[in-house]
Amino acid sequence: MTHEHHLPSDMGGEEAGPVDTHDHGMKFWEKQANALRGTLTSRRILRLDELRRAAEDLGSRYYELGYFQRTTEALRAVLLEKGFFTEKELEARIAEVRRRYE
Amino acid sequence: MTHGHHHPPATGPEFDSGPPSEHEILSRAMQELLEERGVITAEQVRARMEKFEQDFPYRGQRVIAHAWVDPAFREKLLEDGKAACAEFGIDLEADKLIAVENTPEVHNVVVCTLCSCYPRALLGMPPTWYKSENYRKRVVREPRAVLREFGTVIPDHVSVRVHDSNADMRYVVIPMRPAGTEGWSEERLAALLTRDALVGVTVPKLTA
Amino acid sequence: MSSSPGRFTVGQAVRVKASYPPGHRRTPFYIRGKRGTIERICGSFPNPEELAYGFDGEPKRVLYRVRFPQKEVWPDYRGAERDLLELEIYEHWLDPA
Repeated sequence: MTHEHHLPSDMGGEEAGPVDTHDHGMKFWEKQANALRGTLTSRRILRLDELRRAAEDLGSRYYELGYFQRTTEALRAVLLEKGFFTEKELEARIAEVRRRYE
Repeated sequence: MTHGHHHPPATGPEFDSGPPSEHEILSRAMQELLEERGVITAEQVRARMEKFEQDFPYRGQRVIAHAWVDPAFREKLLEDGKAACAEFGIDLEADKLIAVENTPEVHNVVVCTLCSCYPRALLGMPPTWYKSENYRKRVVREPRAVLREFGTVIPDHVSVRVHDSNADMRYVVIPMRPAGTEGWSEERLAALLTRDALVGVTVPKLTA
Repeated sequence: MSSSPGRFTVGQAVRVKASYPPGHRRTPFYIRGKRGTIERICGSFPNPEELAYGFDGEPKRVLYRVRFPQKEVWPDYRGAERDLLELEIYEHWLDPA
């Protein structure tokens, strides 16, 4: 069934391969990203619903990204929307963080 | 320690090995900017990580073990999951909870097809398979086939009920208590209640 | 458990609207247009379709758990006859069946 507004996240009932039943756990950064998200939602700085919507709006990238990649990009979108920082400020900080690892 | 006791994934080192991914860098950059602007503190994030590591993953098995030994608590849990947990001293924070019980006629399994809603304040982080596309796509449509992939075979005379936590509620399964556990302490019973059994993809097993 | 007054009662037959508006919805595609029965009233909550865009989601909407026979949802369902699917549907997505 295809509809013009079929979101990539709305996938129940589609055909797919076997489930990888092993739990691969989480990397440290993923645990921290998860805690960041939870801290922001529990303090009502933003809503989980906004994060979900931003993830859904990733379009074709939805399937290209892993779970924590999606949630991180969704968080970026919502934080930018709400004006917590600008794209420029974020890009500058990303470059600085990257430098620290070199 | 009882064999078969479920351990959540081992705590990794403080830093992941290898170069950071683009998304890790992005995440750190955002967190730093928010901390500098006083939106959140590093301590708040750290405290939350600790909760997920040391507290949340161990709650579900205790609640369900208690429901196994205390019929009145079991009824309360079925009636109002969050209130029952609160009575038991567990604050589920924003999560609302519906407990569904397995019986000789009914087997329950939980999914969130739209994203990955999961009773995190009761069970900790969901496993990778729960968040996977293949699980989200298939378990609503062919639950018995998916359960078989977990090694769980449900006979045809038992009704399989799939709960899609697509809106505000979160779910936990009350598995059937295995025979041969009469007189066991709650702690010993809790060791049987693996995370997978509380989501409904497996059933508790007595091991040697 | 909250049993706020709503349009539907437990046990009532309902049909999910076969409606496909764009934007953030919590009614999965696979259940739209399907017929089920009200299993319980979950309570009233701010509308997630509005929360998703930064609005307060008020007034709250009544949320129901609705039970569907699997055979109703998937014409080619190969499991057992009495297998069920249960999900949460907001009142504005339901019509009496």
